[in-house]
Amino acid sequence: MRWLRPRGLFQTTAFRMSMGYTLLVTLAVGVTLGTTYLLTQRILRDNIDLIINTELNSLQDQYVLRGIRGVSAEINVRIDSWGRIGSVYMLVSPSFKRIAGNVTNWPFDGAPRERWPEFRIESIEPGQRSVHPVRAAVRHLPNGDWLLVGTDMSQDERYAQAFQTATLWGMGLSILVAAIAGFAFSFRLSRRVGAVTDTCVRIMSGDLARRLPVAGSHDEFDALAVSVNRVLDRLEEQTRTLRATFDSVAHDLRAPLQRLRTRMDAVLRLPDLQPLVREPVESALREVDRLQRTLATLLQIALAESGAPLASVSAVNLSDLVGELAELFEPVARERGLRLSAQMQPALQVEGNRQLLAQLISNLVENALKFVPAGGRIELGVQRHGARVRLTVSDNGPGMAPEQRRQAGQPFVRVGAQGSGSGGGLGLLLVGAIARLHRAEFVLEDNQPGVRALVDLPLIEAGV
Amino acid sequence: MHILLIEDDVEAAKFLVKGLRESGYAVDHAAAGREGLERALAGKFDLIVTDRMLPKIDGLEIIRQLRTAGLAVPVLVLSALGSVDDRIRGLKAGGDDYLTKPFAFDELLARIEALLRRHARAGEPSRLQVADLEFDLLSRRVTRAGREIDLTVREQKLLEFLMRRTGQVVTRMMLLEGVWDLHFDPQSNVVDVHISRLRQAVDRGSDRPLIHTVRGAGYVLREEP
Repeated sequence: MRWLRPRGLFQTTAFRMSMGYTLLVTLAVGVTLGTTYLLTQRILRDNIDLIINTELNSLQDQYVLRGIRGVSAEINVRIDSWGRIGSVYMLVSPSFKRIAGNVTNWPFDGAPRERWPEFRIESIEPGQRSVHPVRAAVRHLPNGDWLLVGTDMSQDERYAQAFQTATLWGMGLSILVAAIAGFAFSFRLSRRVGAVTDTCVRIMSGDLARRLPVAGSHDEFDALAVSVNRVLDRLEEQTRTLRATFDSVAHDLRAPLQRLRTRMDAVLRLPDLQPLVREPVESALREVDRLQRTLATLLQIALAESGAPLASVSAVNLSDLVGELAELFEPVARERGLRLSAQMQPALQVEGNRQLLAQLISNLVENALKFVPAGGRIELGVQRHGARVRLTVSDNGPGMAPEQRRQAGQPFVRVGAQGSGSGGGLGLLLVGAIARLHRAEFVLEDNQPGVRALVDLPLIEAGV
Repeated sequence: MHILLIEDDVEAAKFLVKGLRESGYAVDHAAAGREGLERALAGKFDLIVTDRMLPKIDGLEIIRQLRTAGLAVPVLVLSALGSVDDRIRGLKAGGDDYLTKPFAFDELLARIEALLRRHARAGEPSRLQVADLEFDLLSRRVTRAGREIDLTVREQKLLEFLMRRTGQVVTRMMLLEGVWDLHFDPQSNVVDVHISRLRQAVDRGSDRPLIHTVRGAGYVLREEP
């Protein structure tokens, strides 16, 4: 199990959610405004088309009533009274020569193909020239003349532009508002979730009395905090019971051993003790020592495997610790004709209990010392592998059978049932138990020849 | 020197009291926490040895009450619990040393002596000297009969530990704790090998060796007649 924490705001779910939310709001605003624009434009256009049609119809009526002269006269009247508000009229001969109207040249090449052709005309008003977009309709009169009625669309275009500007501003502003709201929201969210994570990390480091803060706002976070706290209450209670049980078992096993030792010590202190008595007592005492050591190891394995978190945890400089232990064991190795060396990347820190980690390393080294014949090599190493620190103890001794290697890393309960009871076996079981207690992975590999023990621990960055 | 032993295991206590008396100490025994605390508070002891687990008032509570009452008497905690955390808790509560059961009687004796001497010791010397062996703690220079001895940093620490306790038996466990800060018992004879290397450096060529082995207990650095 590793503690993965989002590196920054950008990695949080809250941030991602708020980004998605911003996108959604932007899209919604865009679609709403776009649809409004299209619909409005359509209505405006329909209106214009209706006006154009009405004009055409009324002019055609004039044609029917008063012939071509009547139409021309009517057009001239309309130009005078309506021209300034942007209506366009033109009557042309079948060869498209202008007869009447306020446009100089027929804007199309022959008859227009579309029902509602659009074109541009230049208007010359006193003091300024301007180009106007025009939407028009054309009717073929029974005598072969062509009648055109159109409307200046400048207004419409200005409206479209205004609408576009409004849409862009609206979308921009809503993105801004959504982003600010999203940031605020994700900040709040990640602060509350962060509080949960921090508390859990502290609890895992042994501070079992800590609880999640309950804000009193009765929201889902409070509900979560209350449930988690209830679980923690039970965990604390169970740990207390477990420790109490463990303590009384330890006491019941150690107290009689103590009485035994004390009595034997008393015998050895008797004056004028004959070798006939001294020697067997001393030898029995050595057995008591062995028993006591095995018991200590067993108790430690049991405590480590019980799942009770470590009570005293600190940042341990694993590089230095391995260096110190290499220095401690080097003369012993040399005395046995072995070469012991160590290579560490400096200042790699892990979170844990210095004594237990020292015991883990010592057990691996002593295991190698026990099995590697004279002339062999033992190498210790500490290296960084991404977010992990890898501790290695390798030798070039006779090695272990694959089955044996695999078993060494297993929890005690599983191997214990099969009766792997030798001293060396227990030592490695303790290594496994301590490794698990430190959220580390422990494996034994074939070093070809020999054994390579790997322990991967979570790294903590210096200065954290 | 007057020692108070607080231990509810009467059987074990009987032998401890006998052994300590034979070693020249005056010993009182209290079999219960409350009785022990009352007698300790009376304040006429040079050292208190208390079991960690006692019914009703346990060893740590006794230490707490003693310290609250302003008594600085050294306390050695004996514990049958002995997980790594218990040791730290014991020392945090104000205990001066911590010994896990079962322990060898010599181990207890060496630690009692160390605690009593530590309390009597005054000031911080800048120079240690035993016979013609001199250790200048400021320049970290070690000389024997004026001739400089080249030692590693760890060997210096080991020698300093022994010289500060001149004439006092120091056990292997005490050396591991004091010099290497390790509170467990390695199976191999690491301490012996380091001592023998130190001996090579300090005593070789001298007809008056200073580092001596104490059978069954540990080592002592002293000038022998």
